[in-house]
Amino acid sequence: MRQHQQQEFLLDLWTHFPDVLENFQEQVKDQLLATIPREALPAVAKHAVKQLGARFVISVATDMREKDGDYAVSYIFAFDEEKKFLVLQSRVPADDLKISSITPEVPAADWTERESRDLLGVVPVGHPDDRRLILPDDFPKDIHPLRREYAYNEIFPSEPGNAPPPKPAPEGTTVVPLGPFYPILEEPACFRLFMDGERVVGSDYRGFYNHRAIEKLGDSELNYNQIPFVAQQICGICGQVHSCAYCQAVEDACGIETPMRAKYIRSLLLELERIHSHILWIGLAGHIIGFDTVLMQAWRIREPVMWLMERVTGNRKHYSSNLIGGVRFDIDEAAADDIRRVLAKVEVEAKALTDAAVIDTTLMARLKNVGVLTEENARALAVVGPVARGSNVSIDARVDHPYAAYKELGVQIQVQDGCDSWARTIVRVLELFESIRLVRKALDDIPGGPVMAKIDHDLPYGKTGLCSVEAARGEAFHYVLSGDENRPYRWRLRAPTFQNLQAVACMIEGEQLADVPISIGSYDPCFSCTERVETLDVNTNQVRIYTSEELQELSRRKNAANPHYSCHSERPTARRRSHFVKKLPPYGGEFLRSETKNLPPM
Amino acid sequence: MFKAKLKEAVLCLSAGRVTLKYPFAPSDVPPKFRGRIMFDAHKCIGCGGCANVCPPRCIVMEDMGEVTRITFYLERCIQCARCHEVCPEDAVWPTEQFETATPDKSDLTSDMTVWMSSCQRCGRCFESDNAIDKFRSKRWRGRGPGEANKHGIFPTKPPIYFEPPKQLVREEEDL
Repeated sequence: MRQHQQQEFLLDLWTHFPDVLENFQEQVKDQLLATIPREALPAVAKHAVKQLGARFVISVATDMREKDGDYAVSYIFAFDEEKKFLVLQSRVPADDLKISSITPEVPAADWTERESRDLLGVVPVGHPDDRRLILPDDFPKDIHPLRREYAYNEIFPSEPGNAPPPKPAPEGTTVVPLGPFYPILEEPACFRLFMDGERVVGSDYRGFYNHRAIEKLGDSELNYNQIPFVAQQICGICGQVHSCAYCQAVEDACGIETPMRAKYIRSLLLELERIHSHILWIGLAGHIIGFDTVLMQAWRIREPVMWLMERVTGNRKHYSSNLIGGVRFDIDEAAADDIRRVLAKVEVEAKALTDAAVIDTTLMARLKNVGVLTEENARALAVVGPVARGSNVSIDARVDHPYAAYKELGVQIQVQDGCDSWARTIVRVLELFESIRLVRKALDDIPGGPVMAKIDHDLPYGKTGLCSVEAARGEAFHYVLSGDENRPYRWRLRAPTFQNLQAVACMIEGEQLADVPISIGSYDPCFSCTERVETLDVNTNQVRIYTSEELQELSRRKNAANPHYSCHSERPTARRRSHFVKKLPPYGGEFLRSETKNLPPM
Repeated sequence: MFKAKLKEAVLCLSAGRVTLKYPFAPSDVPPKFRGRIMFDAHKCIGCGGCANVCPPRCIVMEDMGEVTRITFYLERCIQCARCHEVCPEDAVWPTEQFETATPDKSDLTSDMTVWMSSCQRCGRCFESDNAIDKFRSKRWRGRGPGEANKHGIFPTKPPIYFEPPKQLVREEEDL
C-alpha cells in the first residue's frame, strides 16, 4: 500500500524536481496544474508513475496559436488514493513541434502520443512506434486536421500510399486476420494475429475506421449547451456517461454550482445505465462463447430497464438529460415508483440468471484462465473499469474522484484477483447488484429543490476542467479548456476502451485462437466510442467491388445530392411532401401573422 | 453442472411470451416520449431560438428580409426537444409519432415562412434565462446573415436571398 497522504506526493515532486515545476496551482479543487519545460516531461512522468504510483490518464495537445502563438501539451495523471488529478503542461513552439516521448517510461501513453502526432503534428521524439494510428490510409501526409486552420467539414484530397505498414510477423508464424469488421460485436476493428499452430504469439491492431469529427465539432461549431447532445451519441450504451462527464468538466472549469437534486438525478440515470449495460454484457459474453441461452435470457431481463428509461427520460437510449448547470427534467414520485417496481423484478430475475450462470461449469471452462492480464501489466498499461478491478487493481472513479452524488451515496468497490475473463464476469455481476442498491438509495435520499443552476454570466475563457466518470466499461475522461466564443477552446475525451484496447496484445498472447474472441469480449469493448476524431473512411480491400477512390467519389456525390450535408452545393429547387408532413396553409391572409398580435407592451 | 442446467431451464420456461404484437397491434408510447417534431406557423414569432439551440442543426433559419423562413430537416433530428424547451411561444413541440421511416429523406423536410414586420418584433425577441443559450447572433444560426466562418465556409449552406414568398409557396403547392 502506498503511504502518501494528500500533500506528501506534492512535496515529493517538489523535492525531486525543484527547478522544473513552475506555476503550481489548484484552479479547481483536486485538480493540480503545473507548467514544466518539455525536456523534463519523461523524467517527471516516470517519477510520478513509478515512485508515486500515479495512473496515466491521457495527454492533450492543443493548438494555442491564436492565443499564445504556440502549442500546449498536457499530460494528465490521476492519484487515485489521494483523489487528485495532476496536469503537467508544456509549451511547444509552433516552428519546432517536438516533445520527448514518455512512452518508453510509461507504456500507457502509447496511443495518445501517436494520436497527437496524427491530429496536431506534435512529434513525440523517441516513441517506439512511428506508424499512423488515427488517420485513414489515404490521408495526406502533412495535414493535421485538428489544427485550427482546418474547418470541420473540409474534404482533403486522397493521397494513396500513406497506409501504415503492418507489423512484420515473427519467423515461422501464420497471420490470421480478425476483422476489419470485427465479427463478434459487429464493429469495425482489425486484429492481425500471429499464430504458431493454435497459439497466438503476437498481434497487431489497426482500427479507427469509423471516425467522427466530434472533438473538432466541439471546438469549432457547436456551442456549450449543444455538446452534451453530441457527446451522448459517442456511445450507443454509455451516452449519459459522456454527456455527464462533459457537463461536469465545464461546470468545474467555470465554477458553476449544480443543485444537489440534479446531482442525484445524474447519479440515478448513470446507475440505471450501468445496470442495463452490465446485463447486456453478460448476454454478449454468452453469445461470444456460443451459449445463446444466456444471451436471450439476459436481454429479456434487460428490456424492462430500457422501457423504464423511456418512461423516465422520454427516450430509450439517448436520455438528453444533461445541460451545463443541471438536468432538464425532474423525476417525480410516479416515475420513482416505476423505477422501484421495475428494479425489484429485474433484481429477482438477474439473481436467478447469475445464480445459474456462476455455477455453470460450461461457462467456467470457457472463461477461467482465459485472457489473463496480470496485476502488474494492468497497472503498467493503466487499464480501467472492470478489467482493472478483475485484475486486483482497486480503482473506481465513483470512489476515487467522486462526482455527481456519489460522495453521499457511498460506493462499494468490487475487486477480484482472478485476473482472467471469469474475474471480470464476477466483477460485473457484483456491480450490477451494487448499482441496484445505489439506485434505491438515491431514490430514498434525493433532496428537493431546483434541478438547474442559474447561469447569468458568460463563461470565462482559459479555464481547465477535468472530469472522469465511471462508465460500465471503465473510466470515461473529459478535458475541457473553456473558450470565448460560447464554446470550449479544446474538448478532449477518452472513452474507456481507448485505454483497455491497448492491453489486448498483452492479454491474448499465449491464448488459443478459439479463446481470442472472448478474451477481447471480456473487457466489453466499444470500438465506435474509441473512434471519434476525424471524418473519411477507407475501403478495406475485402470485396473488390469498388476501389477506395470509387467509393470516396460515390460518397461525395451522395453528399452533393443532399445540400444540407454539404456546404458547397446549391439548394434543391423542388421538394416533395408526403402525407404526414404538415401541409402549410396557402399563402395569404391567415398565414401571415397578424401585425398587431405581437406589438411590444407600451 | 446438472443443477445449473436445471436452473437455466426453469428460467427459460418461466419467462413465457415476451414479444409484443407490434406492428399488428399499436404500440403505446410513455407520456414523456419525444417523437417527431411538429410546429405551428401561427404561433411562431420567428425569433430563431430553436435554430440556435438545435444540436444537430436540423432547424435552419433563413433571413429573407421581410420574411423569415424556418426549415426543419427532420431526418437529422435526434429527438432532444431542446427547441420545445426554449420556444417562448410553444410553437414547436415533440409529438408521439415515432414511425417516421421513409425511402425518401425529403419527406422529412418541412418549413414555415413567418412574416416579420420591421420594428414590432423588438422586445419580443427570444431571450433565454441561461447566459449560454442566449441568441447572440441574430437571424442565422450561429452567425449573422450570410456570414462565413473564419475558414470561409458557411455553417450549412450559403444563404440565398429569396424570390418573393408568394412564388415560393406556389412552387410547393405544385408538387
